[in-house]
Amino acid sequence: MRDAGSGIVRRRTVALIGNPNAGKTTVFNALTGLRQKIGNYSGVTVEMKEGKLTLEEGGHATLLDLPGTYSLSPNAPDERIATEIILGQSPHASRPDLVVCVVDANNLERNLYLVSQLLDLEIPLIVALTMTDVAAREGLRVDHRGLARELGVPVIPMVASRGEGVGALIKAIEATRSAPGKPRQWPLPDPFRRECEELVGMLRERHGLSEPVAFHEALGLITRDGPLNGADERFAPEILAHVVKDHRKLDFLGINRQTVAVESRYLWITAICGRVAPHPARTGASISDRLDRILTHRVWGPALFFALMAIMFQAIFSWAEIPMEWIAGVFDTAGREITKMMPAGDLRDLIVSGALGGVAAVVTFLPQILFLFFFLGILEDTGYMARAAFIMDRLMSKVGLHGKSFIPLLSSFACAIPGIMATRTIEHPRDRLATMLVAPLMGCSARLPVYALLIAACIPPVAVFGFLSLQALTLFAMYLLGLAAALAMAWIFKNSLLRTPPPVFIMELPSYKVPSVKSILLQMGERALVFLRKAGTIILGASIILWFLASYPKLDHATPSDQLQYSFAGRAGRAIEPLIRPLGFDWKIGVGLVTSLLQREMFVSTMGTIYNIQGSQDKAGSVSLKERLQADIDPATGKQLFTPLTGICLMIYYVFAMQCLSTVAIMKRETNSWKWPLFQLAYMTALAYLVTFVVYRAGTILGLGG
Amino acid sequence: MPTMDYAASMTLSEAPLGAPVRIHHLRARPEVSKRLRELGLCEDAVVSCIMKGHGNIICALRNTRIGLDRHLAGSILVSSDE
Repeated sequence: MRDAGSGIVRRRTVALIGNPNAGKTTVFNALTGLRQKIGNYSGVTVEMKEGKLTLEEGGHATLLDLPGTYSLSPNAPDERIATEIILGQSPHASRPDLVVCVVDANNLERNLYLVSQLLDLEIPLIVALTMTDVAAREGLRVDHRGLARELGVPVIPMVASRGEGVGALIKAIEATRSAPGKPRQWPLPDPFRRECEELVGMLRERHGLSEPVAFHEALGLITRDGPLNGADERFAPEILAHVVKDHRKLDFLGINRQTVAVESRYLWITAICGRVAPHPARTGASISDRLDRILTHRVWGPALFFALMAIMFQAIFSWAEIPMEWIAGVFDTAGREITKMMPAGDLRDLIVSGALGGVAAVVTFLPQILFLFFFLGILEDTGYMARAAFIMDRLMSKVGLHGKSFIPLLSSFACAIPGIMATRTIEHPRDRLATMLVAPLMGCSARLPVYALLIAACIPPVAVFGFLSLQALTLFAMYLLGLAAALAMAWIFKNSLLRTPPPVFIMELPSYKVPSVKSILLQMGERALVFLRKAGTIILGASIILWFLASYPKLDHATPSDQLQYSFAGRAGRAIEPLIRPLGFDWKIGVGLVTSLLQREMFVSTMGTIYNIQGSQDKAGSVSLKERLQADIDPATGKQLFTPLTGICLMIYYVFAMQCLSTVAIMKRETNSWKWPLFQLAYMTALAYLVTFVVYRAGTILGLGG
Repeated sequence: MPTMDYAASMTLSEAPLGAPVRIHHLRARPEVSKRLRELGLCEDAVVSCIMKGHGNIICALRNTRIGLDRHLAGSILVSSDE
C-alpha cells in the first residue's frame, strides 16, 4: 500500500485461515511460491508460516498461514494461536489487515461455520473456495456469485493445485480494503439476545473492546459451561459476576445456552447452502468409503498397518544398501587419494581419519533416511495417516491417550522435534504433555545410523521366512521396542502424574488421494539438505575436535591402540568405564555415548574417528567401519568386543536414552519451563541404564555373551 | 425443534451401516459436545455410519468423514431419518 504523498510503502498483513484439510497450505504455496510441507491430516500446520505475496500493482504483502481451525472458540493450542491473531490479541503478530478464509467446496456447510464467525468480527474478508474440481467431479456445483451475494464478501473459486484462481485471488486481496457492511444475519432467540447485548455494552465500557470483538467475547462467556476459570484473568470481576447471573437466568428459562448459537448459525448456513449449492442425490459409497471398509476394518486394518510397517523397515534396510555402498565407495576413494597425495603426518591424519572418517560414517546413512521420509511422505500424502490414528485409537485408549496422539508419535519416527510440535493439535494439556514426554522414545531417524551400524557389525545376515532378513527384523524390533516403551510410559504417566477424564477421539478423515510425487520429493530434498548441512557443520567440527582429543597427547613409539588409550578421549572414556562396564560397554563405546549426548548419530562418527585412528596402521580407509568393529578384541576378556549381545545392549540403550540436545531445547520451548525437559532427560536415561543392565545380565547368564 | 420420538431412538454406534439417521441429542461432556457441533455433528444433522470396528465408527456427514471413538458414538442419540 502506498501512502499518498509520502511514497512510503506500508506492507499489509493478510492472514490465511481455514478448516484443517481445506487446502489452506496449497493456497499459501500458490500465493507465495514458498516451498513448505503439505500434509493431508489434521493439523500439519502446527507452526505459523509467513510468506511474501507479490502484488500485481507492485509492492508486497505479508501472508500469514494460520493453523487450521474449525472455529474461533479454540479447543486446542494450535486453534488458540489462530484465534488470538484474528482477534488482535496475540503477542506474536499484529491484527491482520485482511483475512482470507479458505473454504473447501466439498464441505461447504462446516466451512461456512468459521466464515460466519469471521463475519461477526467485521474484518475485511475474502472467501477462497477451493477444490472446486473435486466438487464438480462429485456432481456438486457451488454458485460462487450467489454465495458472494449471500455473504457480502468476495468469493474466489480456485483449484489451487493447478494455479487456477490465484490471479483472481491476488486481485481481490488488492481490491478488498473494508469489512462487509452486512449486519449479522443469523438470529438469536430473544432473552439470549438481550443478555448478550447487555454484556456487549459492559465489555465495551469496561474493557474498551470494539463492538464486534465484544460480541465475540460475550457469546463465548454466555455459552461457556461450568466455572469461568481461564476467562478470569482477562475480564473484570463484575463482568464475570454478571455472566454468572446470565447463566442462571437463561438456564431457568430452559434455553440451552450451549446449542442455541451453534444451531442458529447452522440454520442460516443450511439455508444458504440450499440456495447456492443444491446437493446431488447420493450415489452410494465413494471409492474412499470402500477403501475405508478394508483399511479401517477391525481385523484387516491393524494387520495391513503392521504389514506396511514391516515392508517399510525391510526397504530401509535392504533396498538402501546399494546407494549406501556407492557413497561409502566415494569416501573410500577420496580417503585413499588424499593419503597418496599428502605426506604422512598429523595434517593428513586430521583430514583422513578425523574429518573424512567422521563425516563419511554419518553421510553413508543418507539413503536410509531418504527411504524413511519417502514412506512417511506417502502415508501422509495419501490420507492414510489419519486412518492409522483411527486404527490405533483402540490401542492408544488402553494407555489413556487417544488416536490423535498417534500422529505425533508416528512423526517422531522421523524426528521427535516435529513430533513434539505436532502435539499442539491435542486438546487436553495433560494428554499433550504425556504425548510429548514419550515422543522421543519413538525410533527417530538419528537412531537409524546407530542401529544400522550395530546391526551390520553384530547381527548375522541370515534370512528368516525366506524373504525377510534377520537384520531387517532386528531393526523392526528396535522400532517396535521404542513404540512399546512409549506406550508403557504413557500409561504410567497417565495413571500417575497426568490423570484426566478418559480422552475422546474425534477426527476428520480426509478422502484418499493419489500422493503428489512432487511434494514428497521436495520434502525428501529438504530433509537431505538438513542432514547434509548437519554433517558438514556440527558433525565435521565435532569430528575434528574428537580427532584431536583422540590423538593427543602423543605417546612415542606406541601402538595405535596404546596411543588411543593415552589420549584425552581415551582417558575420559576410561574414567566413565566403571559406570558402563555393568552394561557390557568398554571405554571406546563410552566415548561414543558421551559425544552422542549432543545428537545420536554422533556415535557413528565417533566410532568412525576412533577406529580410524586405531586402525591407521593398516591400509587406511580400505577396511569398513563395520569390519573394524567386528575385528576389535576386548583386552579385558580377550574376546570379540562387538558380540550380538553387545550390539543388542547398545541398541537398547539408544532406544531408551534421550541423546538429543535439540529435543531438550524444543521441550523447554513448548512447555515453557525447564521442569519437564529435565524430568524427561532423567527418566529416559535412568530407564536406558536399567533396561540395558537387565538385558546384559540376562544375556550373560544365558551364555550369549561369548 | 421437531418432536422427538425417544422410543425410536438409538445411539450412533447402534445405527445400521449406511442408513441415514438424524441426530437429536448429544449426551457427551459440554466441551466435547461443543466440538461435535462445530464439526457439524449438531442436533438435526443427518449422518450415516459407514464403518464400524470394535465400536469405533466412521460416520459420513455430507462429504466429510469423521472418526469417533465408541464412547462418543454411544453418547450421540439418533433416530432413523426415513
